[in-house]
Amino acid sequence: MGPMDAEAIEAADVMARYCRGEAAAFHRLYALLAPRILAYLSGLLGDKAAAEDTLQVTFLKVHEARGTYVLGANPIPWMYTIAHRTCLDELRRRKRSRVRLTQDGTLQSEPAAHLTGVSVDAHQDQTDRPDASVTASALAALDRLPENQRLALLLTKVHGRSTAEAAMITGTTPGAIKQRAHRAYVTLRGMLGNAESAKAEPP
Amino acid sequence: MTARDFDGGLLRPAGEFEKAPAPAADLLNAVGAMKPVRTRTRFGAFALVGLVGLVWPAIALGHLPLRQDLSALPTWWVVTAASLWGLAFALSLAAALVPRRGDVLPAPGRASRLSGAAMAVVLVFVLAATARAPGVSLRPADLHWTLLRSCIHCASFVLEISAVFLVVGLLALRRLVPTGGARIGMALGAAGGAMGGLVLHFICPIAETSHVALAHVGGMALAAAVGALLLSGVGRR
Repeated sequence: MGPMDAEAIEAADVMARYCRGEAAAFHRLYALLAPRILAYLSGLLGDKAAAEDTLQVTFLKVHEARGTYVLGANPIPWMYTIAHRTCLDELRRRKRSRVRLTQDGTLQSEPAAHLTGVSVDAHQDQTDRPDASVTASALAALDRLPENQRLALLLTKVHGRSTAEAAMITGTTPGAIKQRAHRAYVTLRGMLGNAESAKAEPP
Repeated sequence: MTARDFDGGLLRPAGEFEKAPAPAADLLNAVGAMKPVRTRTRFGAFALVGLVGLVWPAIALGHLPLRQDLSALPTWWVVTAASLWGLAFALSLAAALVPRRGDVLPAPGRASRLSGAAMAVVLVFVLAATARAPGVSLRPADLHWTLLRSCIHCASFVLEISAVFLVVGLLALRRLVPTGGARIGMALGAAGGAMGGLVLHFICPIAETSHVALAHVGGMALAAAVGALLLSGVGRR
Protein backbone atom coordinates (compact mmCIF):
# COMPACT_ATOMS: atom_id res chain seq x y z
CA MET A 1 0.00 0.00 0.00
CA GLY A 2 1.47 3.36 -0.99
CA PRO A 3 1.45 6.54 1.06
CA MET A 4 -2.02 7.66 2.06
CA ASP A 5 -3.66 10.64 0.36
CA ALA A 6 -5.17 13.57 2.29
CA GLU A 7 -8.61 11.99 2.28
CA ALA A 8 -7.32 8.72 3.71
CA ILE A 9 -5.32 10.59 6.35
CA GLU A 10 -8.42 12.49 7.41
CA ALA A 11 -10.49 9.29 7.47
CA ALA A 12 -7.82 7.57 9.59
CA ASP A 13 -7.78 10.49 12.02
CA VAL A 14 -11.57 10.55 12.30
CA MET A 15 -11.68 6.77 12.73
CA ALA A 16 -9.15 6.98 15.58
CA ARG A 17 -11.32 9.56 17.36
CA TYR A 18 -14.38 7.38 16.71
CA CYS A 19 -12.63 4.43 18.37
CA ARG A 20 -11.86 6.67 21.34
CA GLY A 21 -15.62 7.11 21.74
CA GLU A 22 -16.22 10.54 20.17
CA ALA A 23 -19.74 10.56 18.72
CA ALA A 24 -18.90 13.65 16.65
CA ALA A 25 -16.20 11.64 14.91
CA PHE A 26 -18.79 9.06 13.85
CA HIS A 27 -20.89 11.81 12.24
CA ARG A 28 -17.82 13.18 10.44
CA LEU A 29 -16.92 9.68 9.22
CA TYR A 30 -20.48 9.15 8.04
CA ALA A 31 -20.50 12.48 6.19
CA LEU A 32 -17.14 11.67 4.64
CA LEU A 33 -17.80 8.11 3.49
CA ALA A 34 -21.52 7.34 3.44
CA PRO A 35 -22.17 9.04 0.05
CA ARG A 36 -19.51 7.01 -1.76
CA ILE A 37 -20.41 3.77 0.00
CA LEU A 38 -24.03 4.40 -0.94
CA ALA A 39 -23.00 4.99 -4.53
CA TYR A 40 -21.05 1.72 -4.53
CA LEU A 41 -23.96 -0.21 -3.02
CA SER A 42 -26.45 1.36 -5.42
CA GLY A 43 -24.22 0.37 -8.31
CA LEU A 44 -24.11 -3.23 -7.11
CA LEU A 45 -27.73 -3.60 -6.07
CA GLY A 46 -29.34 -1.40 -8.72
CA ASP A 47 -31.99 -0.43 -6.21
CA LYS A 48 -31.68 2.77 -4.22
CA ALA A 49 -33.93 1.78 -1.33
CA ALA A 50 -32.07 -1.50 -0.78
CA ALA A 51 -28.75 0.33 -1.07
CA GLU A 52 -29.82 2.81 1.61
CA ASP A 53 -30.84 -0.03 3.92
CA THR A 54 -27.57 -1.85 3.25
CA LEU A 55 -25.67 1.37 3.95
CA GLN A 56 -27.19 1.51 7.43
CA VAL A 57 -26.34 -2.14 8.04
CA THR A 58 -22.81 -1.50 6.80
CA PHE A 59 -22.27 1.36 9.24
CA LEU A 60 -23.78 -0.68 12.04
CA LYS A 61 -21.28 -3.43 11.27
CA VAL A 62 -18.45 -0.89 11.13
CA HIS A 63 -19.59 0.35 14.53
CA GLU A 64 -19.60 -3.17 15.97
CA ALA A 65 -16.25 -4.00 14.39
CA ARG A 66 -14.46 -0.74 15.23
CA GLY A 67 -12.33 -2.62 17.75
CA THR A 68 -10.73 -4.53 14.86
CA TYR A 69 -9.53 -1.29 13.26
CA VAL A 70 -5.75 -0.79 13.24
CA LEU A 71 -4.90 2.75 14.36
CA GLY A 72 -3.30 4.81 11.62
CA ALA A 73 -4.54 2.57 8.80
CA ASN A 74 -6.68 3.79 5.93
CA PRO A 75 -10.26 2.84 6.87
CA ILE A 76 -11.76 3.49 3.41
CA PRO A 77 -10.93 0.12 1.75
CA TRP A 78 -11.90 -1.64 4.99
CA MET A 79 -15.32 0.02 4.93
CA TYR A 80 -15.76 -0.80 1.25
CA THR A 81 -14.94 -4.42 2.12
CA ILE A 82 -17.60 -4.52 4.82
CA ALA A 83 -20.08 -2.89 2.44
CA HIS A 84 -19.18 -5.41 -0.26
CA ARG A 85 -19.73 -8.35 2.10
CA THR A 86 -23.00 -6.88 3.35
CA CYS A 87 -24.10 -6.39 -0.23
CA LEU A 88 -23.31 -10.01 -1.13
CA ASP A 89 -25.40 -11.12 1.83
CA GLU A 90 -28.24 -8.88 0.64
CA LEU A 91 -28.02 -10.31 -2.87
CA ARG A 92 -28.12 -13.86 -1.48
CA ARG A 93 -31.12 -12.94 0.64
CA ARG A 94 -32.82 -11.55 -2.45
CA LYS A 95 -32.23 -14.76 -4.35
CA ARG A 96 -33.98 -16.66 -1.59
CA SER A 97 -36.99 -14.29 -1.55
CA ARG A 98 -37.49 -13.18 -5.10
CA VAL A 99 -40.68 -11.18 -4.57
CA ARG A 100 -40.98 -8.53 -1.90
CA LEU A 101 -44.41 -7.27 -0.95
CA THR A 102 -45.45 -4.22 1.02
CA GLN A 103 -47.61 -4.63 4.12
CA ASP A 104 -50.84 -4.33 2.12
CA GLY A 105 -49.70 -7.18 -0.13
CA THR A 106 -48.88 -5.13 -3.21
CA LEU A 107 -45.57 -5.18 -5.01
CA GLN A 108 -43.03 -2.71 -3.75
CA SER A 109 -41.94 -0.04 -6.20
CA GLU A 110 -38.25 0.59 -5.97
CA PRO A 111 -36.54 3.80 -7.01
CA ALA A 112 -33.93 2.83 -9.54
CA ALA A 113 -30.27 3.63 -9.15
CA HIS A 114 -27.77 3.82 -11.93
CA LEU A 115 -24.66 1.70 -12.13
CA THR A 116 -22.38 4.49 -10.92
CA GLY A 117 -24.56 4.86 -7.86
CA VAL A 118 -26.33 8.07 -8.76
CA SER A 119 -30.12 8.14 -8.94
CA VAL A 120 -31.76 8.05 -12.33
CA ASP A 121 -32.53 11.79 -12.10
CA ALA A 122 -28.99 12.67 -11.23
CA HIS A 123 -27.80 10.36 -13.95
CA GLN A 124 -29.96 12.33 -16.37
CA ASP A 125 -28.08 15.49 -15.28
CA GLN A 126 -24.83 13.68 -15.79
CA THR A 127 -25.75 12.83 -19.33
CA ASP A 128 -26.09 16.57 -20.01
CA ARG A 129 -22.30 16.74 -19.98
CA PRO A 130 -20.61 17.38 -23.35
CA ASP A 131 -19.58 13.72 -23.68
CA ALA A 132 -23.07 12.60 -22.77
CA SER A 133 -23.70 10.18 -25.63
CA VAL A 134 -20.45 8.30 -25.06
CA THR A 135 -21.12 8.20 -21.33
CA ALA A 136 -24.67 6.96 -21.81
CA SER A 137 -23.66 4.16 -24.14
CA ALA A 138 -20.69 3.25 -21.95
CA LEU A 139 -22.89 3.04 -18.87
CA ALA A 140 -25.47 0.93 -20.69
CA ALA A 141 -22.73 -1.43 -21.86
CA LEU A 142 -21.21 -1.57 -18.37
CA ASP A 143 -24.53 -2.70 -17.02
CA ARG A 144 -24.38 -5.77 -19.26
CA LEU A 145 -20.89 -6.88 -18.20
CA PRO A 146 -20.38 -10.05 -16.12
CA GLU A 147 -20.49 -9.15 -12.44
CA ASN A 148 -16.82 -9.69 -11.61
CA GLN A 149 -15.70 -7.55 -14.57
CA ARG A 150 -18.22 -4.86 -13.70
CA LEU A 151 -17.00 -4.85 -10.10
CA ALA A 152 -13.39 -4.45 -11.20
CA LEU A 153 -14.28 -1.44 -13.34
CA LEU A 154 -16.63 0.06 -10.77
CA LEU A 155 -14.04 -0.03 -8.00
CA THR A 156 -11.02 1.07 -9.98
CA LYS A 157 -12.52 3.55 -12.42
CA VAL A 158 -15.72 4.86 -10.86
CA HIS A 159 -14.66 4.80 -7.21
CA GLY A 160 -10.97 5.43 -7.79
CA ARG A 161 -9.67 2.52 -5.69
CA SER A 162 -6.22 1.12 -6.48
CA THR A 163 -5.99 -2.43 -7.84
CA ALA A 164 -4.60 -3.58 -4.47
CA GLU A 165 -7.54 -2.02 -2.64
CA ALA A 166 -10.05 -3.41 -5.14
CA ALA A 167 -8.47 -6.85 -4.69
CA MET A 168 -8.82 -6.61 -0.93
CA ILE A 169 -12.41 -5.42 -1.16
CA THR A 170 -13.45 -8.28 -3.41
CA GLY A 171 -11.18 -10.88 -1.79
CA THR A 172 -9.07 -11.62 -4.83
CA THR A 173 -5.63 -10.77 -6.20
CA PRO A 174 -4.52 -7.48 -7.82
CA GLY A 175 -3.64 -9.52 -10.92
CA ALA A 176 -7.19 -10.85 -11.12
CA ILE A 177 -8.57 -7.32 -10.82
CA LYS A 178 -6.31 -6.10 -13.63
CA GLN A 179 -7.29 -9.07 -15.77
CA ARG A 180 -11.01 -8.55 -15.13
CA ALA A 181 -10.72 -4.86 -15.90
CA HIS A 182 -8.86 -5.72 -19.11
CA ARG A 183 -11.51 -8.26 -20.09
CA ALA A 184 -14.15 -5.69 -19.32
CA TYR A 185 -12.47 -3.25 -21.71
CA VAL A 186 -12.34 -5.90 -24.41
CA THR A 187 -16.00 -6.79 -23.89
CA LEU A 188 -17.01 -3.14 -23.87
CA ARG A 189 -15.11 -2.51 -27.05
CA GLY A 190 -16.98 -5.36 -28.65
CA MET A 191 -20.29 -4.03 -27.38
CA LEU A 192 -19.71 -0.47 -28.45
CA GLY A 193 -18.04 -1.35 -31.73
CA ASN A 194 -15.74 1.62 -31.63
CA ALA A 195 -13.01 1.02 -34.16
CA GLU A 196 -10.72 3.59 -32.59
CA SER A 197 -10.74 1.80 -29.28
CA ALA A 198 -9.06 -1.21 -30.86
CA LYS A 199 -5.87 0.85 -31.10
CA ALA A 200 -5.93 1.88 -27.47
CA GLU A 201 -4.08 -0.21 -24.92
CA PRO A 202 -5.60 -1.19 -21.61
CA PRO A 203 -3.77 0.04 -18.52
CA MET B 1 -14.41 3.98 -25.99
CA THR B 2 -10.92 3.48 -24.65
CA ALA B 3 -9.21 2.89 -21.36
CA ARG B 4 -8.47 6.61 -21.35
CA ASP B 5 -12.19 7.36 -21.24
CA PHE B 6 -12.33 5.54 -17.92
CA ASP B 7 -9.08 6.94 -16.62
CA GLY B 8 -10.28 10.41 -17.55
CA GLY B 9 -13.19 9.95 -15.20
CA LEU B 10 -15.86 9.74 -17.91
CA LEU B 11 -17.93 7.37 -15.80
CA ARG B 12 -17.43 9.09 -12.50
CA PRO B 13 -20.52 10.85 -11.21
CA ALA B 14 -20.47 14.55 -12.11
CA GLY B 15 -19.34 16.50 -9.06
CA GLU B 16 -19.85 14.91 -5.66
CA PHE B 17 -21.52 11.63 -4.87
CA GLU B 18 -25.17 12.01 -3.98
CA LYS B 19 -25.94 12.85 -0.39
CA ALA B 20 -26.59 9.83 1.80
CA PRO B 21 -29.65 9.64 4.04
CA ALA B 22 -29.14 10.47 7.72
CA PRO B 23 -28.02 7.61 9.98
CA ALA B 24 -30.92 5.40 11.06
CA ALA B 25 -32.23 5.43 14.64
CA ASP B 26 -30.65 2.03 15.44
CA LEU B 27 -27.29 3.28 14.34
CA LEU B 28 -27.62 6.55 16.25
CA ASN B 29 -28.65 4.66 19.38
CA ALA B 30 -25.62 2.39 19.09
CA VAL B 31 -23.34 5.38 18.57
CA GLY B 32 -24.95 7.26 21.45
CA ALA B 33 -24.22 4.37 23.80
CA MET B 34 -20.68 3.71 22.62
CA LYS B 35 -17.62 3.55 24.81
CA PRO B 36 -13.96 3.80 23.83
CA VAL B 37 -12.69 0.54 22.37
CA ARG B 38 -9.26 -0.98 22.36
CA THR B 39 -8.16 -1.30 18.75
CA ARG B 40 -6.14 -4.05 17.16
CA THR B 41 -2.43 -3.88 16.42
CA ARG B 42 -0.93 -5.11 13.16
CA PHE B 43 0.97 -7.96 14.78
CA GLY B 44 -1.46 -8.86 17.57
CA ALA B 45 -3.19 -11.80 15.85
CA PHE B 46 0.14 -13.02 14.47
CA ALA B 47 1.69 -13.11 17.94
CA LEU B 48 -1.36 -14.75 19.51
CA VAL B 49 -1.81 -17.49 16.91
CA GLY B 50 1.94 -18.06 16.66
CA LEU B 51 2.44 -18.43 20.40
CA VAL B 52 -0.59 -20.63 21.05
CA GLY B 53 0.10 -22.73 17.97
CA LEU B 54 3.71 -23.35 18.96
CA VAL B 55 2.80 -24.99 22.27
CA TRP B 56 1.93 -28.36 20.79
CA PRO B 57 4.91 -28.60 18.40
CA ALA B 58 7.17 -27.73 21.35
CA ILE B 59 5.61 -30.49 23.46
CA ALA B 60 5.90 -32.95 20.56
CA LEU B 61 9.57 -32.13 20.05
CA GLY B 62 10.21 -32.47 23.77
CA HIS B 63 8.49 -35.82 24.17
CA LEU B 64 8.94 -37.70 20.89
CA PRO B 65 12.31 -39.28 20.09
CA LEU B 66 14.44 -37.43 17.54
CA ARG B 67 15.14 -39.23 14.27
CA GLN B 68 17.96 -41.72 14.61
CA ASP B 69 19.88 -40.45 11.58
CA LEU B 70 19.93 -36.80 12.69
CA SER B 71 23.56 -36.81 13.80
CA ALA B 72 24.63 -38.69 10.66
CA LEU B 73 23.14 -36.10 8.30
CA PRO B 74 25.18 -33.11 7.07
CA THR B 75 24.71 -30.19 9.46
CA TRP B 76 24.32 -27.67 6.63
CA TRP B 77 21.46 -29.72 5.21
CA VAL B 78 19.69 -30.09 8.56
CA VAL B 79 19.98 -26.33 9.17
CA THR B 80 18.96 -25.36 5.63
CA ALA B 81 15.92 -27.64 5.59
CA ALA B 82 14.83 -26.50 9.06
CA SER B 83 15.29 -22.85 8.02
CA LEU B 84 13.17 -23.37 4.91
CA TRP B 85 10.35 -25.02 6.84
CA GLY B 86 10.57 -22.30 9.50
CA LEU B 87 10.59 -19.55 6.89
CA ALA B 88 7.60 -21.13 5.14
CA PHE B 89 5.81 -21.14 8.50
CA ALA B 90 6.60 -17.53 9.39
CA LEU B 91 5.88 -16.17 5.91
CA SER B 92 2.57 -17.99 5.58
CA LEU B 93 1.42 -17.01 9.06
CA ALA B 94 2.39 -13.37 8.53
CA ALA B 95 0.67 -13.31 5.14
CA ALA B 96 -2.50 -14.69 6.71
CA LEU B 97 -2.62 -12.43 9.74
CA VAL B 98 -0.55 -9.26 9.33
CA PRO B 99 -2.07 -6.45 7.30
CA ARG B 100 0.28 -4.38 5.19
CA ARG B 101 1.29 -1.04 6.67
CA GLY B 102 -1.64 1.34 6.19
CA ASP B 103 -4.21 -1.45 5.80
CA VAL B 104 -6.76 -2.77 8.26
CA LEU B 105 -7.17 -6.25 6.77
CA PRO B 106 -4.68 -8.86 5.64
CA ALA B 107 -4.60 -9.00 1.84
CA PRO B 108 -6.13 -12.28 0.57
CA GLY B 109 -4.21 -12.20 -2.70
CA ARG B 110 -0.87 -11.75 -0.98
CA ALA B 111 -1.74 -14.52 1.49
CA SER B 112 -2.44 -17.14 -1.17
CA ARG B 113 0.52 -16.05 -3.31
CA LEU B 114 3.04 -16.15 -0.49
CA SER B 115 1.84 -19.41 1.03
CA GLY B 116 1.71 -21.02 -2.42
CA ALA B 117 5.26 -19.85 -3.11
CA ALA B 118 6.41 -21.14 0.29
CA MET B 119 4.95 -24.56 -0.47
CA ALA B 120 6.56 -24.62 -3.90
CA VAL B 121 10.01 -23.71 -2.53
CA VAL B 122 9.83 -26.38 0.15
CA LEU B 123 8.70 -28.96 -2.41
CA VAL B 124 11.52 -28.09 -4.80
CA PHE B 125 14.05 -28.35 -1.96
CA VAL B 126 12.65 -31.71 -0.88
CA LEU B 127 12.68 -33.07 -4.43
CA ALA B 128 16.14 -31.76 -5.19
CA ALA B 129 17.99 -32.10 -1.92
CA THR B 130 16.51 -34.63 0.49
CA ALA B 131 19.49 -36.12 2.30
CA ARG B 132 19.75 -39.57 3.80
CA ALA B 133 22.43 -41.29 5.77
CA PRO B 134 23.06 -44.73 4.22
CA GLY B 135 22.47 -47.48 6.71
CA VAL B 136 20.93 -45.18 9.28
CA SER B 137 18.06 -43.42 7.54
CA LEU B 138 14.97 -45.53 7.08
CA ARG B 139 12.60 -46.30 4.25
CA PRO B 140 8.94 -47.23 4.78
CA ALA B 141 9.77 -50.87 4.00
CA ASP B 142 12.23 -50.94 6.89
CA LEU B 143 9.26 -50.38 9.21
CA HIS B 144 7.18 -52.93 7.26
CA TRP B 145 5.02 -50.04 6.05
CA THR B 146 3.86 -49.25 2.54
CA LEU B 147 4.57 -45.77 1.21
CA LEU B 148 0.86 -45.00 1.50
CA ARG B 149 0.71 -46.01 5.15
CA SER B 150 3.80 -43.96 5.99
CA CYS B 151 2.27 -40.98 4.16
CA ILE B 152 -1.02 -41.26 6.01
CA HIS B 153 0.84 -41.49 9.33
CA CYS B 154 2.95 -38.36 8.77
CA ALA B 155 0.27 -36.33 6.97
CA SER B 156 -2.06 -36.99 9.92
CA PHE B 157 0.60 -35.62 12.26
CA VAL B 158 0.95 -32.50 10.09
CA LEU B 159 -2.82 -32.04 10.15
CA GLU B 160 -2.89 -32.40 13.95
CA ILE B 161 -0.26 -29.70 14.35
CA SER B 162 -2.02 -27.40 11.88
CA ALA B 163 -5.41 -27.92 13.56
CA VAL B 164 -4.34 -25.74 16.49
CA PHE B 165 -3.25 -22.96 14.13
CA LEU B 166 -6.51 -23.25 12.22
CA VAL B 167 -8.74 -23.16 15.29
CA VAL B 168 -6.92 -20.28 16.99
CA GLY B 169 -6.55 -18.45 13.68
CA LEU B 170 -10.22 -18.94 12.92
CA LEU B 171 -11.11 -17.41 16.29
CA ALA B 172 -8.76 -14.50 15.70
CA LEU B 173 -10.10 -13.89 12.20
CA ARG B 174 -13.79 -14.55 12.67
CA ARG B 175 -14.78 -10.89 12.57
CA LEU B 176 -11.87 -9.73 10.53
CA VAL B 177 -12.04 -11.26 7.07
CA PRO B 178 -15.23 -10.27 5.31
CA THR B 179 -13.91 -11.29 1.89
CA GLY B 180 -11.22 -13.64 0.63
CA GLY B 181 -11.54 -16.01 3.60
CA ALA B 182 -10.49 -19.02 1.52
CA ARG B 183 -7.18 -17.42 0.55
CA ILE B 184 -6.46 -16.35 4.11
CA GLY B 185 -7.44 -19.82 5.34
CA MET B 186 -5.09 -21.36 2.80
CA ALA B 187 -2.18 -19.34 4.20
CA LEU B 188 -3.13 -20.15 7.77
CA GLY B 189 -3.34 -23.88 6.99
CA ALA B 190 -0.05 -23.71 5.11
CA ALA B 191 1.56 -22.08 8.14
CA GLY B 192 0.33 -24.88 10.41
CA GLY B 193 1.41 -27.45 7.82
CA ALA B 194 4.88 -25.91 7.59
CA MET B 195 5.21 -26.10 11.37
CA GLY B 196 4.17 -29.76 11.18
CA GLY B 197 6.79 -30.28 8.47
CA LEU B 198 9.42 -28.59 10.62
CA VAL B 199 8.68 -30.88 13.56
CA LEU B 200 8.72 -33.95 11.29
CA HIS B 201 12.09 -32.81 9.94
CA PHE B 202 13.48 -33.60 13.40
CA ILE B 203 11.45 -36.64 14.38
CA CYS B 204 10.48 -38.56 11.23
CA PRO B 205 13.04 -41.34 10.63
CA ILE B 206 11.93 -41.93 7.02
CA ALA B 207 14.27 -40.07 4.69
CA GLU B 208 12.93 -41.19 1.32
CA THR B 209 12.22 -38.33 -1.09
CA SER B 210 8.84 -39.69 -2.13
CA HIS B 211 7.75 -39.97 1.50
CA VAL B 212 8.93 -36.48 2.46
CA ALA B 213 7.38 -34.93 -0.66
CA LEU B 214 4.04 -36.74 -0.38
CA ALA B 215 3.61 -36.87 3.38
CA HIS B 216 5.37 -33.78 4.70
CA VAL B 217 4.85 -31.30 1.85
CA GLY B 218 1.61 -33.04 0.88
CA GLY B 219 0.46 -32.71 4.48
CA MET B 220 1.19 -29.00 4.29
CA ALA B 221 -0.84 -28.74 1.08
CA LEU B 222 -3.65 -30.71 2.68
CA ALA B 223 -3.64 -28.40 5.71
CA ALA B 224 -3.79 -25.41 3.35
CA ALA B 225 -6.78 -26.94 1.58
CA VAL B 226 -8.55 -27.63 4.88
CA GLY B 227 -7.85 -24.03 5.96
CA ALA B 228 -9.26 -22.69 2.71
CA LEU B 229 -12.41 -24.75 3.13
CA LEU B 230 -12.83 -23.80 6.79
CA LEU B 231 -12.38 -20.10 6.32
CA SER B 232 -14.22 -19.70 3.04
CA GLY B 233 -17.48 -19.02 4.84
CA VAL B 234 -16.09 -17.40 7.97
CA GLY B 235 -15.93 -13.74 8.80
CA ARG B 236 -19.27 -12.53 7.58
CA ARG B 237 -19.92 -9.56 9.71
